[in-house]
Amino acid sequence: MKITCIIVEDIQIAADFLKKFCDKSGLIEVRGHFLNVEDALAYLAQDQVDLLFLDIEMPGATGFELLDRLTYSPRIILTTSKTEYAFDAFQYHVSDYLKKPFTYNRFLEALQKIARPVPTDLPIVHTATTTSPQVPSPDMEFLFIKAEDKLVKLVKNDIFFIESMRDYVKFVTAGKNYMTYSTLKNLEEKLNGGIFLKVHRSFIVNINKIDDIRGNTIYLQGNQIPIGKGHKDELVKRLNIL
Amino acid sequence: MKDSTPGKFVFNQHLDARFLDELFDGDAVYAQIVFEDFLRDLPDYWKDVDTAYLNQDLRNLRTSIHKCKTLFGYVGFSDIQQLCQEFENSCSETSYSGLEAGYRVLVQKKEEARNIIETEYDRLKLFNAADS
Repeated sequence: MKITCIIVEDIQIAADFLKKFCDKSGLIEVRGHFLNVEDALAYLAQDQVDLLFLDIEMPGATGFELLDRLTYSPRIILTTSKTEYAFDAFQYHVSDYLKKPFTYNRFLEALQKIARPVPTDLPIVHTATTTSPQVPSPDMEFLFIKAEDKLVKLVKNDIFFIESMRDYVKFVTAGKNYMTYSTLKNLEEKLNGGIFLKVHRSFIVNINKIDDIRGNTIYLQGNQIPIGKGHKDELVKRLNIL
Repeated sequence: MKDSTPGKFVFNQHLDARFLDELFDGDAVYAQIVFEDFLRDLPDYWKDVDTAYLNQDLRNLRTSIHKCKTLFGYVGFSDIQQLCQEFENSCSETSYSGLEAGYRVLVQKKEEARNIIETEYDRLKLFNAADS
C-alpha cells in the first residue's frame, strides 16, 4: 500500500518536481497540492494523509503554523530554500528537511527516513524500578493509550520519548506520533524506572534510544531533547557510564 | 527518464550544469517544461518584487524575493539564488534606502537570467525535436 501525502507549496515548479518524484518512486500517492496553509488544513480536516511535504514560507500562514494547528501527527518532510529553520524543524520532530531545489536522490533519502523500521536489536536496560506497588504492571513490555478514538498498543521500547503539550502528551515513535489526553506527571508515575526517565519538565525519554548527550541536550533518533536542571544527576546515574 | 549519456544536452556555462544534470537526470523533455514554466512564472513573481519595492513594503519585498530565489534555483542559477538570499536578509536588517544598490543588481541579473533561459529553452526545444 502506498504512503498517502499532500504537498503544501506555493511555488508551482517546486510542487511539480515533488509530484514527479513521488510518482517516480512508486511509493507515494499524492492526494493533493495546496498553495497555502488554510486550504491544506481544510483538506486535512476531511482526509488525513500519512505524510506532508510542507513548505515553510508561504503567503498567509507559515508551515510551522500549520503544524501547530494539526489535530493529528502525520510524518512531516519540510521543503524550504532556507536552512535557518533547521532548529525549529527539530522542535517539531519532522522526519527530514529538504532544501530546495533538491534532487531525486536526496528525495529518496528523505523517504528512507520516514520508512526506517524501528530498530529492535538495541539492548533493554534493566534497572531497579522505583515505582510504588500500586503502579500497574511496570514490567509489561507494552502499554495502551487512548488515541485516534481507540486504544492503541505501543511496545514500550518502540517509544522514543514522550512530550508534554499542555493538556495532552505526545508519544513519539519511529513510525508515528500519538497524542493522548493526559499529563506528564501522571505518566511519570507509571513509566519512570525501567527504560524511561524524566529528563525535563516536558520530556520523558526512552534511555535505550539515546544516541549521545552534548552539554544539556540529548540527541535521540534525530531529535534534540533538553535536559532540565535537577534531572541531570539522575540521568548520569542511569546511563551506565564506564 | 531518458538515459543521460547518449546525445546528452549540455547546459549553458552560466548555469550550474552539474546540478542541473543531477536534477533532470538526463530528461531534457522535463528540463524544457521547467524552463518554460520559469519563463511563465518569473514575470508574475517579479511583479510582486517591483510592487513591494515601489511601495517600500519590506515585508512583502522579502517574501517575494524569496519566491524568486527558489525559482532561480530550479534552472541552475545558484549565484543569483545567493544574491537573492543576501537581499532577503537585507530586507530584515537594513532600511529601505539601504536596499537600492542590491535591488538594481538583482534587476539586472534577473534580465540576464531571463535572456539565458529563453535561449536555453529554444535550444532544448530543438534538441528534443531532433531527439524524437
